[in-house]
Amino acid sequence: MAKRIDVSDVNIYYGKFLAVSDVNLTIQPRSVTAFIGPSGCGKSTVLRTLNRMHEVIAGARVEGTVALDGEDIYGAGVDPVDVRRTIGMVFQRPNPFPTMSIYDNVVAGLKLGSKKISKSELDGVVESSLRSANLWDEVRNRLSKPGSGLSGGQQQRLCIARAIAVKPQVLLMDEPCSALDPISTLAIEDLIQELKTKYTIVIVTHNMQQAARVSERTAFFNLAGIGKPGQMVEIDDTDKIFSNPADKRTEDYISGRFG
Amino acid sequence: MRDVYHDELDDIGKGVIEMTNLVAIAMDRATSALLDANLAQAEAVMAADKRIDTLRTDLEERTFQVISRQQPVATDLRVLISTIHLTADLERMGDLADHVAKIARLRFPESAVPEEARDVISQMGEVARSLVTKVADVVDGRDIALAQAIEAEDDSMDALRRKLFTLVLSPNWSRGTEAAIDMTLLGRYYERYADHAVAVARHTIFIVTGRRPEH
Repeated sequence: MAKRIDVSDVNIYYGKFLAVSDVNLTIQPRSVTAFIGPSGCGKSTVLRTLNRMHEVIAGARVEGTVALDGEDIYGAGVDPVDVRRTIGMVFQRPNPFPTMSIYDNVVAGLKLGSKKISKSELDGVVESSLRSANLWDEVRNRLSKPGSGLSGGQQQRLCIARAIAVKPQVLLMDEPCSALDPISTLAIEDLIQELKTKYTIVIVTHNMQQAARVSERTAFFNLAGIGKPGQMVEIDDTDKIFSNPADKRTEDYISGRFG
Repeated sequence: MRDVYHDELDDIGKGVIEMTNLVAIAMDRATSALLDANLAQAEAVMAADKRIDTLRTDLEERTFQVISRQQPVATDLRVLISTIHLTADLERMGDLADHVAKIARLRFPESAVPEEARDVISQMGEVARSLVTKVADVVDGRDIALAQAIEAEDDSMDALRRKLFTLVLSPNWSRGTEAAIDMTLLGRYYERYADHAVAVARHTIFIVTGRRPEH
């Protein structure tokens, strides 16, 4: 189910402004890849090009190819909505639909689809998604209550359940723990370890210890200079990046020696 | 906050250099105490060893604190982990100099070294000094080429030790068992001192390259 992603010669623009230049990287299926780097270096922008979320901003566009198991998601005739279903996303702030129940939040994506799904089938998806998100035991008796009544950590796991309910192949996470306390953060990190057995996961994080804990591969992004585009400095095995990175800029960043 | 961290890393580095200099002085003095039957010199070595032990404890504690509070990575992490190892080696080198000084004191007012062994012991002292001087340069400048040269010099220490054995085991040895034991122990002390010096150089190679040198 999990798929491999190949990013080749990608340049990302906001209007005329080149935000990130010349990204080349491969993301292996059933693995966790972390993107780290200072604010504004383009790591979230790159993440958003992986499921065509970047182009929802007016004037934003992408050059180069992003291939999912060899198929370019920017190819002619590819429906971006299909891409986003295949490649799910979890955001920085938990964003359950506030007026919807927990149940309806989980199946929101499924109901958008054209296919008619039976109640019993939906019940099954709700339970399996919430179980996969390690939330089932906490909410099974209050599925009809609003999702906004959950704690922050629970809401984020609800959003993960919602993302995996549509059976994606890749899960993109944009700082999924930055609004959470340490216990909820650990719960999400444990969840990531379970999810990677089924999905390809890419996580953007400002927390370098988190990148070191959860990922197999780490990519470091940086700005070439003020007003210059962001770039990927290097990608390597996470233990290599944190013990003996090849590029001095990576070492300076992870050791806290910037500027 | 990061400045405090980097200052502390620098200070720990300076502490390691100080330890290296102290163990160099210690063995040098111990050798002359031994060859000249100089009691004051021998006792100075023993007194100075306490400073080396204190430095080691202090550096270990501070390294532990930095690791627990700053989550160091990459070179910083290699420096700190290696500091724990190499301060143990340096402390042991200080102890070995202390042992040499104790033999000098034990035999005072005689010299512990009989005439026919003087040359070998004196050479061992020379090699020890040359080795540890290089080690100090390696630690201070993290000079990898020099670190590799140290291994070759250690081989000459091993050769001297064999020479000392040959002397003691020879049918011509006329100094009795006590002196034979002294020579055997001294040979062992100098040889171990050199081995720990090599270990310090190896830890420094790891700090710089991120790879452990092969044995």
